[in-house]
Amino acid sequence: MTDLIIQTNHVSKIFGGLTAVNQVDLEIPRGSIYAIIGPNGAGKTTLFNCISGFYTPEHGEILFQGYPIQGFTTDFIAGRGISRTYQNIRLFSNLTAVENIMVGQHTNLETAWWDAIISSPRYRRENQKARDNAMHWLNFVGLNGYGDFLACNLPYGMQRRLELARALASDPALILLDEPTAGMNPQESEEMMAFIRMIREKLEKSIILIEHDMRVVMGISDKISVLDYGTKIAEGSPKEIQANERVIEAYLGPGGAALAKKYQNRRRNKQDA
Amino acid sequence: MKNQQRREVIQKGLIFALLIIFVLAIGFHEIAAALVSRVFGVSVRRGSVAELRFMMYFFGLYAFVTGWANIRKEGSWQQKFLQGLLTSAVAGFVVAIFDLLLVFLVSNSIDIRQYLTAFSIPSMSYFLFEKGQAGPLYHLGYFIVFGGLGALLHTLWITEMVQQAFEKTKGFIKTFATKASDAIPNVVKKYGKYLLLLVAAIIMYFLPRMWGSYINFVVGLVGLYVIAGIGLNIIVGLSGQLMLGYAAFFAIGAYSVALLNAPEPHNILLGFWPSIIIAIVMAILAGILLGLPLMGLRGDYLAIVTLGFGEIIRILLKSDLLENFTGGPRGINDIKGPTLFGRPFSNDIQFMYIIFIAVALSIFIYQRLQDSRTGRAWLSIKEDRIAAQATGVSLRKYKLLALCIGAAFAGLAGGISAARNQFTGPNDHSLLVSMNVLSIVIVGGVNSIPGIILGAFTLKGLPEILREVENYRQLAFGALLIVMMIKRPNGLWPATRPLYEKSHCLENEELNTGKERKND
Repeated sequence: MTDLIIQTNHVSKIFGGLTAVNQVDLEIPRGSIYAIIGPNGAGKTTLFNCISGFYTPEHGEILFQGYPIQGFTTDFIAGRGISRTYQNIRLFSNLTAVENIMVGQHTNLETAWWDAIISSPRYRRENQKARDNAMHWLNFVGLNGYGDFLACNLPYGMQRRLELARALASDPALILLDEPTAGMNPQESEEMMAFIRMIREKLEKSIILIEHDMRVVMGISDKISVLDYGTKIAEGSPKEIQANERVIEAYLGPGGAALAKKYQNRRRNKQDA
Repeated sequence: MKNQQRREVIQKGLIFALLIIFVLAIGFHEIAAALVSRVFGVSVRRGSVAELRFMMYFFGLYAFVTGWANIRKEGSWQQKFLQGLLTSAVAGFVVAIFDLLLVFLVSNSIDIRQYLTAFSIPSMSYFLFEKGQAGPLYHLGYFIVFGGLGALLHTLWITEMVQQAFEKTKGFIKTFATKASDAIPNVVKKYGKYLLLLVAAIIMYFLPRMWGSYINFVVGLVGLYVIAGIGLNIIVGLSGQLMLGYAAFFAIGAYSVALLNAPEPHNILLGFWPSIIIAIVMAILAGILLGLPLMGLRGDYLAIVTLGFGEIIRILLKSDLLENFTGGPRGINDIKGPTLFGRPFSNDIQFMYIIFIAVALSIFIYQRLQDSRTGRAWLSIKEDRIAAQATGVSLRKYKLLALCIGAAFAGLAGGISAARNQFTGPNDHSLLVSMNVLSIVIVGGVNSIPGIILGAFTLKGLPEILREVENYRQLAFGALLIVMMIKRPNGLWPATRPLYEKSHCLENEELNTGKERKND
């Protein structure tokens, strides 16, 4: 059996009469970049929220490094080593960039409030370490020089990177990225892709991402799952997914497969000519 | 463009005229004149008004402000000046027309006091400078002369020449200051903080001896509100839980000290020092009790529930149900003060020392917590609780912790105040106290210690010192809040965030230069 970072067995999440996530099985090996795609409203973010503990799934179980984590609170799961970013950036707007990253380290620090009041040596040592680490992550995402800016005053691209730095700062085993390249131009997307690869290679993290930009998805993922109406309709390498008829139908509607074939043929003809 | 200016002149003139008419309508002009006379060192006998010249000074000052405030923002200096003068003249004209009505009322001895209390004949003629029918002309003249003066001075002030000279002097002072600070040896700089603290402590030792007991009373009150403000700031400003029933913790602290230290109703007489600790512990317990059911609530719901909590505690204390236990609506009298080494330690000077120490302790604890891991966790909850939780901050733990520490501060302040006043009753802990503390935090500046101290002085100290304006306190309170929220939405002294990257770079630089020196 391969070393799995996340395994979901028949996970379902139901809101009233709507089944947002329906019996989804995922097996995500450690150290991989795994993409979840699907049309709007397919339940991708809900699945993320189930993994990160924001929602508790009604059925099924979620194993993180072999241990079940469904039903625990978000902060507990974050402490176990899952951190995430959000589709619409959720930084602590009125804290500086460095402070944002220091909050990100929360689970790695252990001094309590009374340590801070008496300023024990342990506390001072740890505080210094936290600040040095924050500087390290600030440089890592290329925000040096912007550390003392309030997060809300940073430009959009930097806010995205800062959010990533905050997620990385807790040294998690798994990072969930919700649309990391949303609102970026092609060049910025390219940079973000390189950056995600670097996180995997240099820091040896596992990454799950939700993404709409197909160039990004096909460019960096090892494996892709496609959700539609909460159900997993396909899984495979980027090549397999591109050729999968059900996927094309989910995106383009019935008859879409024929349409896609037509355009593929036309492109092939053009290339031949 | 011309049209717009004309409109502006008339609008602003009307506003300033209406303001002074409003001042008359609420009878504030007599108080303002009394205040001016105080500034000149002439005291006013009770039940009479200040000398007429002080009323004239006040009116002139108002006209001056009208001219100063209304000059044109751009254009040549003549245009700027002219707009100020014209606006002031319009205001004067409107006031003069209104004065005609007053003259009519005064000359016919028509008293409309029963409808508008301030419009008594002496009050109106005082407003008209006791000049009878010439009053309107005087007012118009004042507005033109002093308004013109104000406009002229403001115009001169913003000319480039004056501004440059001002900047130059500022720069000169700044360079002088940096040079002076460079001249201070490093040892002094390093330990200068402690030196300053020592000097402050010595000043704090002598000040209450020099002040009269009245000032001690006022400053002590401000100190107690500073402690409460810091405590509430931990709850509202750091952890972001809007708490409207803060006075309940205050009440619990006060009653703990009172019940353990008064001959009635229980005659326990435990002594001040143990009972103040019990007061703090009781407040913390109340914080936990209130906090546990509150954990799921936020925003408006939280505010309403805490509001209810505050009222429940107050009504319980007031009710007949607990009369045998807490003294009911009469409250508890004869609370014994603290003793030190067997001697009483409870005159107003000694109480000042206790309050100073308590304030220093509160500030110290707050400062230490603010930039720690705990403080950052609180702030992150305030900013975005979902993201905070997803980064590993336990909402339940940190919200409860903030509530408990905030409650402890209130317990301390309440306990000291009960012992100082030798009395506590249910009406000392009304909703107004909660609102006052919250206003101090917001007006002063959320998360800013100097802000809270400044806020406590403005909202609690000033009204006590300016007893004359007592009747207008609520009015001034409201006006101040409105002006503040428009002009300084972040408070009188807003908080700043620590600059970690800058200090990090500086430290590295020092290390590097140190190494280079070694290499040499």
